[in-house]
Amino acid sequence: MAPIEKPDYSALRELVHPHIDSFDYFLDEGLEKAVVSIRPVELSDPVSGSKLRISFGKPYVNAPTKEGRLKSSLYPHQCREAGLSYKGEFKVELNLQFDNKAVVRDHISFGHLPIMLRSKLCHLRGASPEELIFHKEEATEMGGYFICNGLERLARLLIVPKRNYPIGMVRKSFRSRGDGYTSKGVVIRCVREDQSSVTIKLYYLQNGSARIGFWIRGREVLLPVGIILKALIDTNDHEIFLSLTSCYNEKYQRQKGAVGTQLAGERAQIILDEVRALLLLTRSQCLEHIGEFFQPAIYGFETETHLVVAEAVLRDYIFVHLANNYDKFNLLIFMLQKLFALVDQTAAPDNPDALQNQEVLLPGHLITLYVKEKLEEWLHKSIRDIKDEMSKNPAEFKFNKLDAKKISRNSPSIGRAVESMIRTGKLATRSTLDLPQKDGLTIQAERLNFLRFISHFCAVHRGAAFAKMRTTSVRKLLPESWGFLCPVHTPDGEPCGLLNHMASSCRVTSFYDSDGKIKDFLKIRMTILTVLVGMGMASSLPKLEQAGPPEVLHVLLDGCVVGSISSSNIEDAVGHLRRLKLSASSGFPADLEVGHVPLSLGGAYPGLYLFTSPSRFVRPVRNIYQLSDVNHCVELIGPFEQAFMEIKCPDGGEGGRREGFPATHEEIHPTGILSVVANLTPWSDHNQSPRNMYQCQMAKQTMGFSAQAIGKRADVKLYHLQTPQSPIVRTSSYSKYCIDEYPTGTNAIVAVLAYTGYDMEDAMILNKSSVERGLCRGQIYQTETVDLTKKHDKSTRVVEIFARSSDRKMSSSIDSDGLPYVGQKVQPNDPYYSSYNTLTSDIKPTNMKSSEPAVIDFVSIDGTNLKNGIQKANIRFRRPRNPVIGDKFSSRHGQKGVCSQLWPDIDMPFSAITGMRPDLIINPHAFPSRMTIGMLLESVAAKGGCLKGQFMDATPFSNSVNKADDNTSFESSSLVDELGPMLTSYGFNYHGVEVLYSGVFGVEMTCEIFIGPVYYQRLRHMVSDKFQVRSTGVVDQVTRQPIGGRKRGGGIRFGEMERDSLLAHGAAYLLHDRLHSSSDYHIAEVCSICGSLLTASTLQPQKRIVREIRGLPPAKAPKTFTCLNCRSSKGIETVAMPYVFRYLAAELASMNIRMDLRLSNQQEK
Amino acid sequence: MDPQPEPTSYICGDCGAENTLKPGDVIQCRECGYRILYKKRTRRVVQYEAR
Repeated sequence: MAPIEKPDYSALRELVHPHIDSFDYFLDEGLEKAVVSIRPVELSDPVSGSKLRISFGKPYVNAPTKEGRLKSSLYPHQCREAGLSYKGEFKVELNLQFDNKAVVRDHISFGHLPIMLRSKLCHLRGASPEELIFHKEEATEMGGYFICNGLERLARLLIVPKRNYPIGMVRKSFRSRGDGYTSKGVVIRCVREDQSSVTIKLYYLQNGSARIGFWIRGREVLLPVGIILKALIDTNDHEIFLSLTSCYNEKYQRQKGAVGTQLAGERAQIILDEVRALLLLTRSQCLEHIGEFFQPAIYGFETETHLVVAEAVLRDYIFVHLANNYDKFNLLIFMLQKLFALVDQTAAPDNPDALQNQEVLLPGHLITLYVKEKLEEWLHKSIRDIKDEMSKNPAEFKFNKLDAKKISRNSPSIGRAVESMIRTGKLATRSTLDLPQKDGLTIQAERLNFLRFISHFCAVHRGAAFAKMRTTSVRKLLPESWGFLCPVHTPDGEPCGLLNHMASSCRVTSFYDSDGKIKDFLKIRMTILTVLVGMGMASSLPKLEQAGPPEVLHVLLDGCVVGSISSSNIEDAVGHLRRLKLSASSGFPADLEVGHVPLSLGGAYPGLYLFTSPSRFVRPVRNIYQLSDVNHCVELIGPFEQAFMEIKCPDGGEGGRREGFPATHEEIHPTGILSVVANLTPWSDHNQSPRNMYQCQMAKQTMGFSAQAIGKRADVKLYHLQTPQSPIVRTSSYSKYCIDEYPTGTNAIVAVLAYTGYDMEDAMILNKSSVERGLCRGQIYQTETVDLTKKHDKSTRVVEIFARSSDRKMSSSIDSDGLPYVGQKVQPNDPYYSSYNTLTSDIKPTNMKSSEPAVIDFVSIDGTNLKNGIQKANIRFRRPRNPVIGDKFSSRHGQKGVCSQLWPDIDMPFSAITGMRPDLIINPHAFPSRMTIGMLLESVAAKGGCLKGQFMDATPFSNSVNKADDNTSFESSSLVDELGPMLTSYGFNYHGVEVLYSGVFGVEMTCEIFIGPVYYQRLRHMVSDKFQVRSTGVVDQVTRQPIGGRKRGGGIRFGEMERDSLLAHGAAYLLHDRLHSSSDYHIAEVCSICGSLLTASTLQPQKRIVREIRGLPPAKAPKTFTCLNCRSSKGIETVAMPYVFRYLAAELASMNIRMDLRLSNQQEK
Repeated sequence: MDPQPEPTSYICGDCGAENTLKPGDVIQCRECGYRILYKKRTRRVVQYEAR
């Protein structure tokens, strides 16, 4: 036997890279950068005058360890089994400096930080499949998620505006900033090295000036732009004027790419006049003004001078991605020019909904932000505590008494804050941290089946704020997302278009280069700069004024205006940059984005925008322009540059490209635009597109083989298919992503015919014998964690343990340890465990609540953190879910159906030649309107594959690929011409049809029937979990109407629309029965004298001898009522009414409103 | 409570060793010290529906 080839899981691992890389960076460098960037705090004692300076030093995070002294490694499977969190200790060095003496360092523990699986601190990092199995994980375990209290959760990838790129925007809401504001503005999201960001908005005013706006402490601050311009550097009005007007040149008026107009001069004048009107002439005056303005707004600068405050504002809020004030000045000038071009309509606004202007928020960066915020909060709080102490007891207080222990004694655990953020997805901060949303940041990684699990990691969400928006423009599929976001894989319905999935070839840039080393961005930028200067770029420093487009193009490198390059040789420069990008030795990162926005008439604002930053989308394409080396021609491109590139798809056409613009790049494979799940649909290029979307949805709700380590998992609910099969017809992605490890369906023989009428309207007939042989059999595993310690408050000190009473009856279902027998069947309302209360010493059995019997699959007892006896146990139930009428199935082409009959095998139609009976019958009407030709092809191909003994390749768009032998003639013949002859060579019909005999009458059917194997998925929606019936039962306490809800044994609402239909039919008796007799029928005593419904009360029943009849219950003495109001029982009448009416009367009475009923036998006239 | 409940057998979740616990014993594998134990399948006859 040939050795079994080891499966290659690298493609799967690649999918979670964005998550793991970002978390690795957080551990490697991000955390340290965040901690260092926290400003030290100084305290001074007013009495002694001594000073104390507190700052943070190096942070440390340790690998997860078990609690206890031994500190042995904690593995993820232990967390899942015991409901623990996978976290490592987090310590930060705290530096205390008293009166400029030597610094005292001390380590403070800030709790435990959750550790991402397979990140650098995870014990499973780099483990081979064998090692993973040894550690009771899946062989394919990819990591990328956290474990919090035994639950697997991962951070949701969120779309955020592209960093360090000024976006021209038109928004109506800008007008509400104040009087004179227009809807136009330029917005830039500036990101610091520690991934925290500040968004700067530049608003255009009707008078021609501009305001700069940013958020401080939940409030937007608006400043005239001139003040910032002057405060940034020592400059004069003339210089500012020249810089602003430099992009206008009369020579190029109305020429292609001319963005400046002569209005620029007037506007510059207005901007300068505004500052002069405030009597701010010099830089120091401007700084003084800013400092005065911001002193109360920012924390920790109470004692500083205005100048220091202003410097801090410029450093911490204005263009935080730049360190140099000259760079900031240049960028502000550039943004003003872009703003003016936007206003004058010489440049079009950018679309903030397009992927071109977006990037992604990664989990590691999110946690960095959060930890920084929490540390700052802690520092400020402890300072406040020290000050409180100081003011309480000023004489005795001395700084020397303080040490790190004392400061940190009431430290809130930052690890716990991060853990609760991951557990709930909510940020508990006052500021928004410049993030699009504060909750819904994490989701649970459901292991319903493998496809659902992996698509969680590829999902990209647009943001919760957009879900509530009425407009649909954000949900649109835009051409900019081509190749990055899958056009097929988005849910239909509410989150449609907001929750997208990354295409299979899409990657996210990280801080790591291909060797796994952290990129040195400073070095990279210097390399790029030298190359740019070598190509003829004029550096922007120190010369401030530059010409603008169309003469020269500005060059922005990561949001810094580095210079300008002549527009005549820009093409060569871009080509050269791309060439350097491809060669490994150049020092250029492979994922450098070279966004060349060409000159155009009223198009996007021209320029050369270079990005090296992390968390951008990139995807590989083949560079065919520079065919120097065939092996090194795969270039990574981003969505920003893609919009201005000529990329051809090897489908034989030119895609509407005109002759002057030859294609410079080529797609590697057309399926690269599809996500992993969409890629698994066979021949999806032959289906109508919405059907492929439905399939993506249904693939994720399929009952499949959800986990291989199922015995070592304690998931709350797990679906499991007993007899899965590998599909005969599969795409190339199926083997690439090793889906065979977790198959999701069965190859069923499907006949397409109208038989018995039980296959009408998307119903399908299942062969009863096939089901009995194991077709689509499955079960649900449900784990219940019983923790007896949590039953009582810790303060009461009641100890409860599992134990059994000596009662004979109980021992039939409960073992001697108080837990159920493994393998035993438990009926509803049977006891399955019992607990012994050591205080009251009584034994209480607990009964099973569910309505169906279940088998005890496993029982595990958990001794972590417990000392006395068995107190915590996981009990897993197994509920059989074999196909029954009403269960849902689907093929892989969006063709779902409900099982309507389990038809006996003997009555199924059978083939004339082979005698085969189908497993499944569907109706031919399922095809014409839905146009899922892929399903027909699958049937034919699978039939051929069965006969040949081969798996069939069904990769979509396979006729649009460059053939290896490079013959330019593309296949024009249809697939049927390939598959048909294969069938005929085995003696079958060319079209896949067969002569069938009726199973009931034994006669030949009048037409030939299309029959063949199709891969069918069993969906998780099953009647056994959904059916709801009730006769009489639980009613609401207040209204006495039947309650709703399946779990509580409620009914199904007979609502207004149902009422309307009965009214329309005139079915008054039925209506009365539904809404009254079967609901809250009530006989009330009403006093006809006063008309009150509430005053009737029972009289003391007089003793009356009631003759008892044997066998019958003793007759009740009729109750007599009296009206408390009228003090007589004369007017008491019984009236049938809904009970809620009585309740209404009571409610009204409580509001001092009396309700009178007038009783009469006749109709009132 | 049973006056003298018979000890029950468990299998260690880590090393697979068999452990017999009496009520009040510390839940810990005697071989490897792992603290999650799985109950052994019952020796009683269990009958399932074979339909």
